[in-house]
Amino acid sequence: MIKTERLTKHYGTIHALTEVDLEVAPGEILGFLGPNGAGKSTTLRILSGYLPPTSGKASINGLDLMNESLAARRCTGYLPENFVAPSELRVSEYLRFRASLKGLRSKQVPAEVQRVAKHLGLEPRLRQPFSALSKGFRQRVGLADALLGDPPALLLDEPFSGLDPLQREEFRTILKNLATSGKAILFSSHVLPEVEEIAMRVQILHHGRSKAVGTLEDLQSHLHEKAKLCLRLSESGAQCEQVLTDAAKELDFSFTEQNDKSYLIELNDHSKRSELFQRLAASKLPVVEFRELRPDLDQLFRNLVEESPS
Amino acid sequence: MRAFVALWRREVFSMMVSPFAFVLLGVWFLLNGMLFVVALNTQQVMDDLRLLPPFLFGSGMLVWLLLPAFPPLLCIRLFAEEHRVGTLEPLLTAPIRDFAVVLAKYLAACVFFLLFWGGVLLLFLLLHWHGGDLDWARVLGGMTGAILTSFLFLATGLWASSWSSNLVLGAGGGAALNYLLLFVPALFELNEGALGAVARSMHLPNFLDRGFSAGLLDSYALVYMLGLSALFLFLTWMRLVSRRWVP
Repeated sequence: MIKTERLTKHYGTIHALTEVDLEVAPGEILGFLGPNGAGKSTTLRILSGYLPPTSGKASINGLDLMNESLAARRCTGYLPENFVAPSELRVSEYLRFRASLKGLRSKQVPAEVQRVAKHLGLEPRLRQPFSALSKGFRQRVGLADALLGDPPALLLDEPFSGLDPLQREEFRTILKNLATSGKAILFSSHVLPEVEEIAMRVQILHHGRSKAVGTLEDLQSHLHEKAKLCLRLSESGAQCEQVLTDAAKELDFSFTEQNDKSYLIELNDHSKRSELFQRLAASKLPVVEFRELRPDLDQLFRNLVEESPS
Repeated sequence: MRAFVALWRREVFSMMVSPFAFVLLGVWFLLNGMLFVVALNTQQVMDDLRLLPPFLFGSGMLVWLLLPAFPPLLCIRLFAEEHRVGTLEPLLTAPIRDFAVVLAKYLAACVFFLLFWGGVLLLFLLLHWHGGDLDWARVLGGMTGAILTSFLFLATGLWASSWSSNLVLGAGGGAALNYLLLFVPALFELNEGALGAVARSMHLPNFLDRGFSAGLLDSYALVYMLGLSALFLFLTWMRLVSRRWVP
């Protein structure tokens, strides 16, 4: 659905993007991670048809962005970073204009605007000018714009930036629902928790190169990083230490006591998490919490840059 | 085509609700009214009212001072403002060709600028209703020439607007280019030889003074003005395309 092959973009001597491959299937959400200047926005701008690549291929829905740019753009909904609409237009006027710009017939336009407004909870704001909206609603207008014409592919550049926690949660729910309806979604971010929440796969960029792609678990395994688990009990006891010591030999992990009721477990093999869970459940220990401690982006990113091949 | 019409309508609408555009229109009406009164009070025009159109549209201050400045001011919002505010990216990622974007914006500016000329036409109508004996062939010819000149200056203004997100540079660059188009040929038109001939063939006020304002439809001037307008629209399109390669 969304695909690039050896995508490269140079600005003179600056190599913004070097041979990046990516693929997003229908119904999938791919999180595009990387620090500022990694090439995320450049990739999205190429895929949106705003910038041409220096070399390589980019396609949406099988349509090549260089040779069939207009047709590819019709299949794409794009939310740029820091989305802005003309301040003199009301939300409904702006969405009607964008629907017409995307080639919808004049008879279809009002119904289409109503559809996206209803979907994104924008109906009460339709008569307000864009300049009077909060950041959260501005982002919604941007997403509504991207959804006009029901394109199968969505490109969202830092869609969560500037949103408060409640708005982020709402936005995540909206994106999940869109993916469920079959849309291929590629979004960029530099905040791991957002990506973790909704992305089915993650692709990490650094200095314009793709450093890794896969689920977060895949990335951790790829880096040979130990799975860190937190175990908390309602009461302390020697029995717990004994159970953990026995299991540690078989399942290849180490553990340290944080305090008398909680332990940090470092598991060498990620695939043995469920086995450990079953062992703890069978032992009838008074477990109140058993959860995986996820690596933060800084750590994961640092490891990828230092350890993974480019 | 639907996308083109949608963009054209939006641009016209944006100008219609823009306070800046109406301030421009007001200043234009005020200055033109003053020039009109000054022209009416000159001895030549008082002696023969048929000389009013060449005086106003040909050698008068309307063309030399006002006309080069106003179209670029109207054009600054078309690209420079969009670039500054950040609305250009959503526009250029919509399924519409770059040249259609240029043409829609240009035609919207042309349509809005007809309002400017409507005010000037109204002055002639008022004079006519007060018993002024006007030569309408000269009036309408002069206005046609001036409208074509303003369309040319809108094309140069659009081109200048596409170069920068700085509004002052966009408007100032366009106005400077228009003054160059007027004054450079004027500087050399008295030269003998090829340079003088080239300068005379590019001298806009001459076309307006001796052709359009005399009630004549000068086909060379028509082709020159439309051709030059097309050239600047093409350059604007090229600028838009090149911006995608070198932002």
